[in-house]
Amino acid sequence: MEVNPLAVILAYFDSKGDRLLYRYPYHTLGQTHKSEEPREEMVNKKRNPFAVTHTDDLLQTPTQQSQNQQGTGQLQGFADDVLSALFAVKPQLCNQKFELKLNDVRFVSHPTLISSASTVQLNAGNSQALAASSSITTAGAAKKQQMLINIVFALHAQASYSIVKCYHELSKRLGLALKFEEQRSGYVTEQTALMARTHDEQQQQQQPLERTLELIAERCSLAQALKSICNDLCTTGLLSTTLNQNLTLTFCLPAKAHQLHKKGSMVDPETIDRCLRALKPYHGMLLLVDFAELLDCVPPTGARMLWQLVDAYNPLISLQSMASNADLSIEHVYKLVSHLVYWAKATIIYPLCETNVYVIAPDAPLHTRSHLVEKFSTRFAGMSLFEVISDFSLPTSIGHLTTPLQQPARQGILAQMVLWMLQHHLLMQLHTYVQFMPSDVDDEFGESASCAHVAAGNLTEEEQDSNHTEDDTMNRVPHDDPVHGGSMLSMSSQPLPMPANSHRRHLTDDHFSVASDNIAVQPSSSHKSNFSMTASMSTDNCDSLDSMEDEQKLKELLQVFSDADRAAIRRIPASLNLDDLSLLVKLYQMGYFKSEHHLEEIMYFENLRRSQLLQLLDKFRDVLILYETEDPAIASMYNNK
Amino acid sequence: MHSHANEGVSPGSTEGKIRCIFLSEFHATAGCKISCQVPENYISKEVFDAINVYIIPKQHLQRCILTVNAMEVKIVGYPVGIQDQQKYARNAFLFNLCFVCDSRARSVQYEPVVKKLSEYLIMMEEESCFLSREDDKLRLQKIFETVLRDLNERKVATIVEGDNTIYLKIVMHKPDPPPVKDHMVPLLLANLRDTPLENWDLTTQQILPYINGINHVARIAAEADVETDLVKSCIQNLVYYGVVQLLPILKYSNVYMTQNLKKLIQSTALSNACRKYVALQPDKLLPSVQRIFQFYASMTHGVTLRAICQRLCPQDNNIDERKMVIFGLQHKFIRCIQKYPVFTGSVPSGRQKMYTGLISFDEICCKTGLSPFTIEKDIEKDTNVTVIWK
Repeated sequence: MEVNPLAVILAYFDSKGDRLLYRYPYHTLGQTHKSEEPREEMVNKKRNPFAVTHTDDLLQTPTQQSQNQQGTGQLQGFADDVLSALFAVKPQLCNQKFELKLNDVRFVSHPTLISSASTVQLNAGNSQALAASSSITTAGAAKKQQMLINIVFALHAQASYSIVKCYHELSKRLGLALKFEEQRSGYVTEQTALMARTHDEQQQQQQPLERTLELIAERCSLAQALKSICNDLCTTGLLSTTLNQNLTLTFCLPAKAHQLHKKGSMVDPETIDRCLRALKPYHGMLLLVDFAELLDCVPPTGARMLWQLVDAYNPLISLQSMASNADLSIEHVYKLVSHLVYWAKATIIYPLCETNVYVIAPDAPLHTRSHLVEKFSTRFAGMSLFEVISDFSLPTSIGHLTTPLQQPARQGILAQMVLWMLQHHLLMQLHTYVQFMPSDVDDEFGESASCAHVAAGNLTEEEQDSNHTEDDTMNRVPHDDPVHGGSMLSMSSQPLPMPANSHRRHLTDDHFSVASDNIAVQPSSSHKSNFSMTASMSTDNCDSLDSMEDEQKLKELLQVFSDADRAAIRRIPASLNLDDLSLLVKLYQMGYFKSEHHLEEIMYFENLRRSQLLQLLDKFRDVLILYETEDPAIASMYNNK
Repeated sequence: MHSHANEGVSPGSTEGKIRCIFLSEFHATAGCKISCQVPENYISKEVFDAINVYIIPKQHLQRCILTVNAMEVKIVGYPVGIQDQQKYARNAFLFNLCFVCDSRARSVQYEPVVKKLSEYLIMMEEESCFLSREDDKLRLQKIFETVLRDLNERKVATIVEGDNTIYLKIVMHKPDPPPVKDHMVPLLLANLRDTPLENWDLTTQQILPYINGINHVARIAAEADVETDLVKSCIQNLVYYGVVQLLPILKYSNVYMTQNLKKLIQSTALSNACRKYVALQPDKLLPSVQRIFQFYASMTHGVTLRAICQRLCPQDNNIDERKMVIFGLQHKFIRCIQKYPVFTGSVPSGRQKMYTGLISFDEICCKTGLSPFTIEKDIEKDTNVTVIWK
């Protein structure tokens, strides 16, 4: 696995020269590669036997190169003194990223310059610790001096840029922590001296190097820390190490940590960032681990807030409600959730509810030999993963899988199972997205024609037909326009809308219905005679001035659309309903119909009920295209093929 | 055809050009220094002083590709030492030819080139002291200038220097493509159609006419009368070079699912390309984006391509639904939902052994040579088999 470190190396450099103080694992790097080699062969064997061996290309690939290098034995020549000379970098290179690639090994580090704690302070504070070693006393007696600590991670050359970046960050943090500890209590001076002394002792006794390194790990807490860091990185990718029993360093290697929940996935920090940037208050959180495992990812100082959140944790509610239940601000909740997601302790979901539509994730590791099958049947006794999950072969909601006749417990179990499958990334939620896309006029007729005469295929007839329908609308549109135009004119001819209203009220008061009818109809009466059909006209009859205002409003609302779009919307009967149209226009103007927002998001931000929204979308279905797809932010954490 | 390699860029790092080429040598009196640099002074004195340990390293590291990335530059080098007591003042001539890139750029692809150019220089040095003679730096500078320009522009450089001809080429290193299987359908990417047939190797020449985005591998093998394994390796090779893309087999009983469909409308260039590509008769009025979008949008779980075609009559709108599917798969607006039979009983026998959940329905059909209908009936009868769509 290219994520794992090959080795961790502690190099030290001061006025007396450079030295490789400790490294883990103990066998020389060359040997590491030997153990690596069989695996590479295995990979090669697993490949399709018919795969082309591009003889000339393979020479260029690092795998081949590394094998070459091992053949000639050059990697075994990475003696410790060669490495220490390489890592004792010049002062100009300190306190910045340092990367060195030698054949197929990439070394990453952040060389840190540490000025040793001053003699006075040392003698005052740690005189007893100092008394233990004479070499330190001499070092302390000398003037305040600089030393260079370089914690180097050896990686596979193929390690991607983001992995290298993570290791650099880790080296940087370790360097900072050591700098702090040195200033606090002379920790680095003490530990390095101890290591150097052990090296000298063992060399005199001509002990093998491996024995020396083991002894160092027994004696020095810093070496122990590095060893455990390397082991943790290889196993979980999560580490929490306390240096000098004082400073706790926590670190997560996402590329590794996320593999725990999903084998073979490579989640780089950039993907996580992208997902987290899309975090909205309506999202929910799903923990992937037990509560007990949560605390190791936060320093003790941050634990209180995390508990507050965990107390309010519920996969059925949104982050917003969790925040208010936990009495935290939403920003804090975002931060905590982001942290948990980065550390592979949680994942982002849409809060579980009956209407959520789930489907099997495209890369779900579902096969007969998957360990998940057994894990599932232990968790849910007597249930078969395949039987349960095959219900989700077609997009299905929990609501659909349960009936009111069943006992409520069944629904609870089903919800548990869905959560379990979400935790294991077996299911994926589908959302409905809306795209505003009116068909242009020609097209509209094309459709009506083609649907009417699917089989016939008689072109002339179709054309006639479409011409006919076209005529109809052509008639209708010009008729409509003068009506509106007329009312517009009459409206604008009034000095102000208010007097018009008062005038009308006055008239109706005096002359009752007959008079009102007469007067009110006047502006459009000339057109009305040859206008027989529309609903708007019938409302005109009852209360025409009101409707004139409505019409005016409708017209204003329609201004937001372009000419072609406006015509298409006009053809929809619901566009004459002021409430419907204003809601549509509002959502349109908010940019919700651009395939960027799913229904749940629109509902959340516009405070709509699902039925309200669905009704509206249904009324305007001729200009809207609805389709189901996954939430891209959440999906990016899924499909990393 | 190797030069057609599409550059795969890993996230976070960028594909970088060679910024500078220099030759550093260990001078008998002056120590480490840059003796020839193109362009001049790209690597400043300060930077070189900080990193010269890695440019002229100890003997152990000679003839290793050594890349150092510090102080905002990435330097790929191949340190060399030529031992010769007669010729050289310090009994050896140490030098290193280095390529410089931006610190975030990938540099793996330059490693073989650096090594090869170094080997040429070693040869020329051994033959005629090309490097160690002080007066020849101008010729070296000329070589570097040509290499820098040609490799950045064309990825290939050929230089004639005296009796030697130097051939250099940058080959992008990409991970191996997944194995090609019988049921996969290769699609030739359009921009490579114009390459004259005789530029391809013999097998490719033979199978190329049958690659149309519809025929699957087994069928291509049968029609071109080439052995299947040979076709597979050939296609895998084409996939490696980004000439061919593998798609699932097209059936009207297939189910597709949209993903990232908004890309289609957000990019006018893409939607226009799509309109042109999917048109049944290109000389007629091109299908509208709205039609195409509607077609794609109606693809979802549980809806077969046949059902969509019956509902939307794509052919009446001058849309070729097969091209539509190919375009969608190619640009990843849609993906094919595959059926995976899973055997849930205790001991599988016969064909049940294939129902592991790893082998898709198409693959089973191809392997057994049975029609989808037969397999479907077979699975339906068997109570121990569950079908998963994903």
